[in-house]
Amino acid sequence: MRTYRAGALLAALFIACALPGSANAFERTETRVPCAHSEPLRRPFFGDTHVHTAFSFDAWGQGTLARPRDAYRFAQGEAIGIQPYDAAGKPGGHIQLRRPLDYAVVTDHSDLFGETQICQTPGLPGYSSLVCRVVRRFPKLGYMLVNGAIYSSEHPKRYSFCGPGGVRCLDAGRGPWQEIQDAAEAAYDRSAACSFTSFVGYEWTAMPGGRNIHRNVIFRNEVVQDYPTTYIETPTQEGLWHALESQCLDAPGRCDVIAIPHNSNVSAGRMFTTTRPDGGPITAADARTRARLETLVEVTQHKGDSECRPGAQDELCDYETLPYPIMMDMATGNRPAKLPPLIYAREVLTEGLVQQRRLGVNPFKFGLIGATDTHLAAPGKVDEDQHQGHAAGTVDARFGVPPFPDRPDFNPGGLGVLWAEENSRDALFAAMRRREAYGTSGPRMTLRFFGGWDYPAGLCSDPDFVAKGYAGGVPMGGDLPHSGQRAAPRFATFALRDPGGNGSPSTPLQRVQIVKGWADARGGHERVFEVAGNPENGASVDLASCQLRGKGFDRLCSVWGDPDFDPEAPAFYYARVVEDPSCRWNTYVCNRAAVDCSDPGSVPHAMRACCDPAVPKTIQERAWSSPIWYTPPHSQPEETTP
Amino acid sequence: MSVRQARWLLFLALALTVPTPMLLVFDALVPPIRYVILAAASLAVALAEGAAGPVPGIILLMAGHAVLYLLLAWLVAWLAARLLRGLTPARRRTAVLGAVGALLFFSLAFALYHTPFGRAPTGNLLGVLT
Repeated sequence: MRTYRAGALLAALFIACALPGSANAFERTETRVPCAHSEPLRRPFFGDTHVHTAFSFDAWGQGTLARPRDAYRFAQGEAIGIQPYDAAGKPGGHIQLRRPLDYAVVTDHSDLFGETQICQTPGLPGYSSLVCRVVRRFPKLGYMLVNGAIYSSEHPKRYSFCGPGGVRCLDAGRGPWQEIQDAAEAAYDRSAACSFTSFVGYEWTAMPGGRNIHRNVIFRNEVVQDYPTTYIETPTQEGLWHALESQCLDAPGRCDVIAIPHNSNVSAGRMFTTTRPDGGPITAADARTRARLETLVEVTQHKGDSECRPGAQDELCDYETLPYPIMMDMATGNRPAKLPPLIYAREVLTEGLVQQRRLGVNPFKFGLIGATDTHLAAPGKVDEDQHQGHAAGTVDARFGVPPFPDRPDFNPGGLGVLWAEENSRDALFAAMRRREAYGTSGPRMTLRFFGGWDYPAGLCSDPDFVAKGYAGGVPMGGDLPHSGQRAAPRFATFALRDPGGNGSPSTPLQRVQIVKGWADARGGHERVFEVAGNPENGASVDLASCQLRGKGFDRLCSVWGDPDFDPEAPAFYYARVVEDPSCRWNTYVCNRAAVDCSDPGSVPHAMRACCDPAVPKTIQERAWSSPIWYTPPHSQPEETTP
Repeated sequence: MSVRQARWLLFLALALTVPTPMLLVFDALVPPIRYVILAAASLAVALAEGAAGPVPGIILLMAGHAVLYLLLAWLVAWLAARLLRGLTPARRRTAVLGAVGALLFFSLAFALYHTPFGRAPTGNLLGVLT
């Protein structure tokens, strides 16, 4: 028995030592009870890094009264109330997750913390100001005016009721900022159970000229900025990075932080720029700064998908696409024939390779995650059959759940999945930093993705798939090691169907693809390879009942070698896992309302989207791994993370 | 009731009650008076705080709808008053008050309106104005 234990210990040590960087798998920066359960080969933790509560001006303007503590309660499986609230503050309904999350981050809009507090708190100076009166009396108009005057302005300034220098509003914002920190601390399970992790965060909400360049800022632990950076005081992304570097990463007794861009799909190309504010091309230092802070990008969320350009060779890119380049255009009806460049993650990843050839540094070296962007303080509320809207960015007021609960081109949003040893802030943050993360459009499928040079064809049937995956290469988010003159890299992908449970649907997998992007002297290129499953499996869904038809897969695995590998061309590879078709949220809504499109006269005005052929009835849920990068030997990548 | 009084009364009733669609941008069906209120509120904020970004566009949007639908309401009231010119003042009064009463009844009894600017997606006259 003793010999067995010693052998097992040695084996575990061997595996642990084989893990990349496993001697310091993650740095421990907190004083806390160690987690009782730690998994050297890492586990997937499902969560949401994009959550708004009543501290966000737009969420409050839409009637949301739930606060950060409520959001964290919701994330852990408790029910919370939603609008409309009666005069006594009793909510009009309750919502609850079927399956709790492992982690969450409340990321309220930092820019108007004070204004939001002042306008909703009788007695505070400024409460009776004209702006606050208009906002309370005409919430949606107020939202438009404030959004337009501040967030969409190139030169935002605070309202006069904030006093000289905006001091009154900045002071009033300290209360919410402290409450956000307190709520995160209260929700964080510091016991050995390690059941739930919360992070302190905020959203820097820049939308100059209507072009979205938002970032969610997430801190590693309880050491955070004294006051969050705001778009009003710091109106450029370069300014945000400088603030985060000077106040955190490069400061003594520093806070540790990352920034996650989101909704590049409505950035009109301004989020991932290759020029400096003065118009000149970015430098290697600029690229280094960006890559250091922006290790992840939110590839999908409530307001559309940002993976790849619809209409490209990849038919699956036509998925949750918003047909307008800026959010304001959803109201104006502007639908340009061609959307601007560099608004989708894949083309930005490719551009990163082009820039790397020029600068020696890849500015766009990011992993992929999903999130909700809920404005109902409802992290992880992603089930299609329970979608009630997220009260975000819509042109309709939200003082109740409308019969058709969201814009038809919006969706419930997704989840971010982090591969970590344990559910603690240090472990999860380290996963975000090293990009060992993936995004899903909502379901909780499991996705492993490794890149190396010598994975055997039979790895999928090996019970030590994961250990050998780590030992023979790098996981998602990593850089392929030197090839040593070997032919082509090989990628091991393993996907498990979302098991569902507690009422959550479980849809079979249809296929696994590997998406490759590369750059050569002619520029950037991309190609999609089918590596497992069957895209022609004939699976479908009965639109009347939403029952699934046909067969898919419970698990898919593949070891794939790149047939077109060019050792001189920098490249990235990421895996995409696709489920069989299932009902989109609007189909559930329309079925519940028994809408009869064969009798147009009977269709209520509010439900007319049910009969709009342009609104998809089905969806193929999916997951996207973070990429693995290959860099030619003569230009090995710089280490850009702190 | 004079023709002029009839015209004014009908105009006010139409401006207060007739659901009118918001063109181009929002999916709304509100009485013209609502555009007047929204334009006034937007203008007041702009005058007090400045009109950065798309704020002038919002004001123009609201004011444009207000002017358009008030002109239409005036035109309809003018035409109706002309039609009623041949009636005796007493009968004209009955007709006008009947029409106004009917407009108010329907606007209060039914959720004729839907608006992105109210506290509910649809509502009756009181709902859309509060």
